[in-house]
Amino acid sequence: MEMVYEWFRTLYQETGINLPFLYDEYDRNRMIDGLFTTVKLSLVCLFFSIIIGVIGAWLQGSSFKWTRRFVSGYIQLFRNTPPLVQLYFFYFAIGTLLPRVENDWGGQSPIFGSFAWAAISLSFFAGAFNVEIFRSGIEAVPKSTVEAAEALGFSKLQIYRDITLPLAFRVVLPALNNNLVNLVKTTTLAYAIAVPEMLYEANQIWSDNVNVTEMMVFLLLAYFVLVGILVSGMNRWERAMKIPGYG
Amino acid sequence: MKYETDLPVMLPLERHQSEPFLGLKSKHILTVALIAIIGPCVAFAQAPSGQESPLAVLVNWAPLLLKGFIFNLIISISAMAFGTAIGAILGLGQISLIAATRHSSWFVTQFFRNAPWLVLLFFAMFLLPFEINILGFKIPFPDWLKAILGLSLPVMANVSEIVRGAVRSLPSGQWEAAESLAYTRMQTLWLIILPQCVKRMLPPWMNLYSILTMATVLASIVGVSEVMTLTGQALASEGGRPELLAPFYGFVLLLFFIYCYPIARFTVWLEKKYAVIN
Amino acid sequence: MKIKTLAATLVVSALSISAATADILDTIKERGTLIVGTKADYKPYGFLDTSGAVIGIEPDLAKDVADKLGVDIEFVPVVSSNRMQFLEQGKIDLMIATMTDKPDRREVVLIPDPNYYSSGTNVLALKSLGLKEWEDLRGKPVCGIQGAFYNKATSQTYGAEIVAFKGTAEAYSALKGGNCAAFVYDDSAIVAKAADPDWADYEMPLQTIDDAPWGLAVALGEEKFGQMMSEMIIEWHKTGRILELETKWGVTNTPFAQAMHDKYK
Repeated sequence: MEMVYEWFRTLYQETGINLPFLYDEYDRNRMIDGLFTTVKLSLVCLFFSIIIGVIGAWLQGSSFKWTRRFVSGYIQLFRNTPPLVQLYFFYFAIGTLLPRVENDWGGQSPIFGSFAWAAISLSFFAGAFNVEIFRSGIEAVPKSTVEAAEALGFSKLQIYRDITLPLAFRVVLPALNNNLVNLVKTTTLAYAIAVPEMLYEANQIWSDNVNVTEMMVFLLLAYFVLVGILVSGMNRWERAMKIPGYG
Repeated sequence: MKYETDLPVMLPLERHQSEPFLGLKSKHILTVALIAIIGPCVAFAQAPSGQESPLAVLVNWAPLLLKGFIFNLIISISAMAFGTAIGAILGLGQISLIAATRHSSWFVTQFFRNAPWLVLLFFAMFLLPFEINILGFKIPFPDWLKAILGLSLPVMANVSEIVRGAVRSLPSGQWEAAESLAYTRMQTLWLIILPQCVKRMLPPWMNLYSILTMATVLASIVGVSEVMTLTGQALASEGGRPELLAPFYGFVLLLFFIYCYPIARFTVWLEKKYAVIN
Repeated sequence: MKIKTLAATLVVSALSISAATADILDTIKERGTLIVGTKADYKPYGFLDTSGAVIGIEPDLAKDVADKLGVDIEFVPVVSSNRMQFLEQGKIDLMIATMTDKPDRREVVLIPDPNYYSSGTNVLALKSLGLKEWEDLRGKPVCGIQGAFYNKATSQTYGAEIVAFKGTAEAYSALKGGNCAAFVYDDSAIVAKAADPDWADYEMPLQTIDDAPWGLAVALGEEKFGQMMSEMIIEWHKTGRILELETKWGVTNTPFAQAMHDKYK
């Protein structure tokens, strides 16, 4: 391993191509931490945004007027404002309104740190899209199917859980995948509130080393690989879930 | 008049028709949205004595911020136009019968679709030259043009996917029927497939525009003088008073909401208008 | 303002066709505008007024340069993470943007001697934390500004976890919100902040470190412009222009500016 590191150090000295995260231990650890933070943030947001989507779509079919209005308001608010500004708003405005807790360095810190706020904010953002995606899928399920289930005495929740959702899920998978891929890319915004994810760490490195070009190329490739893995996994899943002749 | 029954099959049908999504309730939605944005702002905007109140400060800066916002809109419209034009060609390339065209279009689409917008923007910002020299003519590349280029890359890839998806979403029977009527591939595409696709493409395309508009604030991170950059600079010029952040960012949220919400409603209206009745 | 920028760029490009390899000074004179990169979020060194114009100590210095050349001036707001790129790309002719003079930066841009200003690194922190030494920051989250050189030093040498934001407004807000234990920044700005009644609970508790001079910069290879800027800086020190501007913008006169004035008087 040391040989590889040394090779990149030589590469810098010889050609000026500076990849400090490969030979400098401090920068390397930063980059690895960044990668893990990105992956962790993505997974947390994926999970919660799907939960929000499923629950939201169900609540939208509710017979209470105000429940539906509330969900609609949430969707419209989050869909029609920039996620970056949402993130700032959550972190700086809402974050300071919440009660504080004693922390281990003797100060008062907010309950949620920047990672938590990024996770909350991005989950709600992607969740708003997911609600609409699931809703469109539910609407695509033929009425006769739902009626047949009703005739068989299924309860409302049962119909949603056992009939509508599984069918809708297959219909919406492409749209859902698209949104989830977007979500992973949107995690780069967490950079703005100093969540140490990949873009943030890369920025720190290029500020210290003045090597924007190299870091930029590396970042593009890194995200290409990361998202590529997600996309191919999703596609495989899409194929596995496919019902022949349906959708 | 409702009558009591335990049999689901006897219940009136309307219950399953989901409410019109936006319908008449937009004013309620708007109210909720406004309360959600303005509430925390007001709660937060209590000035320490002896200073101008945060809302008064915001009013001072509002004209400048509005100017910045208009710049955001110009960026979004240009990037959309540019991205759509190239993306449409790329999308048709993806369904080409020539394997090389198909594969290369697919690769380009996937590459730019998988790269985060912010990273592409950084890329365009720092790696494009300040001006390019063609035959002794210097074509300048100012910031805003780089931002437009940087943002049109992902738009291009997404439009390409929308075109491909729409074509693929049509039942294969359409192609087969056209073939049996002796249409050429070109004719089938232009006369049968694409006209049906336009309706399917319009709503996702409008969504993409919405996403793009909201992505223009990313240009702030790379230093274009748009609304977020100006907001940050305005806040710094006021001496970094923390109680100003909520009203200022709330104001930016509001600007985008006022612009994007009608677009979203229009998209839904289009969706309904073009809905394929089964 | 944008339209003007656009028009200016178009004019610039039209004019510069003839002067492909000309010296930057000729280009500036031909174009009639000096394009200067300054901070726009760094009160009082460079910030915005409500009309969107850039004002402050550094913009005033830049105006002196434009007056000397007999041309108009145009400001391009820069941040720490893009200022050197802008200069390299030729987007700006001159950069006066609170940049610390560092050997590795001298490899990328031309920094004329002598330095025009100086500041050190210190932190702003709650009095109740009772910080005494830099070592006390170990393991604590410390706010910073993206692209500032002392971020790495603070985290590597003293083990602080740097939480870097894009602008000062965010960093101050995060500090007040309790997201950070301290805010590492230029001492001159911190002194001003700690005197603010809003920040009465905060102090500048540590020894200033890395007292380092600031350098303005021109693109690499522009020796003639660099030479002219050197003379300009000596002139500023000689006439006490820097001290005068400090007073104008409400900064206590710094020892560096005073010493340079005495040296060149």
